[in-house]
Amino acid sequence: MTTMKSNLHPSTEMLEKFVSGDLSVGVNLAISAHVEMCDQCKSAIQEIELRTADQWTNAESSSSAVYQADTASMIDSIIATPQLKEPIEEESEVGSIHMLDRSVKLPKVLAKAASEGLVWKQLGAGISQADVKIDEEAHCSFLYMKPGSQTPVHKHQGTETTLVLDGSMTDELGEYGKSDFIFRTNNDTHQPRTEDGCLCFSVLDSPLTFTKGLARLLNPINRLRFQRAVGKTLS
Amino acid sequence: MTTLNATMDQMHMGNLASKAEPASKAASTSTKPLSQSDTDSDEKLLLDVGNHQSREAFNKLFERFSTKIFAHGMKITRNEQLSKDLVQEAMMTVWQKAPLYNSDRGNVQSWIFTLTRNRCFDMLRKQKRQPMCVSADDIWPAGMEDSESLVERDQGSLAVEFSNIERFLTQLPEAQQAVVEKVYLLNLTHEEAAADLEIPLGTLKSRLRLAMGKLRQLIGTSE
Repeated sequence: MTTMKSNLHPSTEMLEKFVSGDLSVGVNLAISAHVEMCDQCKSAIQEIELRTADQWTNAESSSSAVYQADTASMIDSIIATPQLKEPIEEESEVGSIHMLDRSVKLPKVLAKAASEGLVWKQLGAGISQADVKIDEEAHCSFLYMKPGSQTPVHKHQGTETTLVLDGSMTDELGEYGKSDFIFRTNNDTHQPRTEDGCLCFSVLDSPLTFTKGLARLLNPINRLRFQRAVGKTLS
Repeated sequence: MTTLNATMDQMHMGNLASKAEPASKAASTSTKPLSQSDTDSDEKLLLDVGNHQSREAFNKLFERFSTKIFAHGMKITRNEQLSKDLVQEAMMTVWQKAPLYNSDRGNVQSWIFTLTRNRCFDMLRKQKRQPMCVSADDIWPAGMEDSESLVERDQGSLAVEFSNIERFLTQLPEAQQAVVEKVYLLNLTHEEAAADLEIPLGTLKSRLRLAMGKLRQLIGTSE
């Protein structure tokens, strides 16, 4: 995958949480895929790793639990295992999504996530969605918007993370292209549209609410779809 | 309470020991003078584990890092048994992957921290029975430039006169020249060359790959 310059990046705070392992699986996937396409975030992450590891090494434990174990026998069993002289090579996967008019090569981590197959569903108005069942707390999916399509105006109850994988789209707040990382909180109401088509990876931590017109009829259905996608009952 | 104090003391000692790490490698804010010789730095210990399978060095790394790994487990899982399992899993990975450690890509602390985070992530997903098609090593890849196959593939393509190669060789950074000489002029195995130069095997391989890429580039542009 060719590395390209990207305009919108995860915030430093998000990258820090990514490094320390504090984010949900879905958001981890979106950040990881962005980083694969973005040299700037790649080097930022190397620095954050050094800093985080330094804090980790020098931190005093705040936990009341104390580590006690029969270390001698644990060490015995560990050093009886063979060491690796070569990294384990994984067979490379093709990992492309084929659209009507083009195919898009996915970042490796998303190709892995999609490796069990994608089932595309029409959402209407030229928009299709394929769920990725990977995170029990968030709804992860690939979204494809046909050239000239737009989504109904909607807002988010939780957060919406979007990574543009191909094409471009615009909304009230800006214009987005390949590798742009967009993070929206529940205050934002928006209506994305695309001229030349757009493929995204999207992570929602609660259902969308449409705010205008007939699309509002879909709200109960959205809640149901969200519950099914993450496999749990909303309270 | 006594147990807790004892553990805290050990941790202070662990801190001092880890600060013996060369300052240039760490993003450490510490300005303390080195209190221990380089022979006992985290880096030297990991080198002894990776190049010489030293049990003694592994014991010391275990002492220094097991409480840290346990603390990370408690923070993420809030479960003592899982955190103990994490110590075993993470230290097992330290042992098994020690020859792959690359000092050009970060320091020992960040290497052990990231592998601890990754093992913890996988353990937790397994425990929650979540789909395993994506693992921690997919989400946080260790750097694609370390692929060994690239080095091997480059070998056959250097069909230029020897005198030219020698000229190109001198244009490489010293550290890269050293590994090329050991492996291609002295015909040492990668393991022997790493032990000879006192660098981790993973570092040797990465430098070799960079050197071969650079040489290929120099040869290509000279034609």
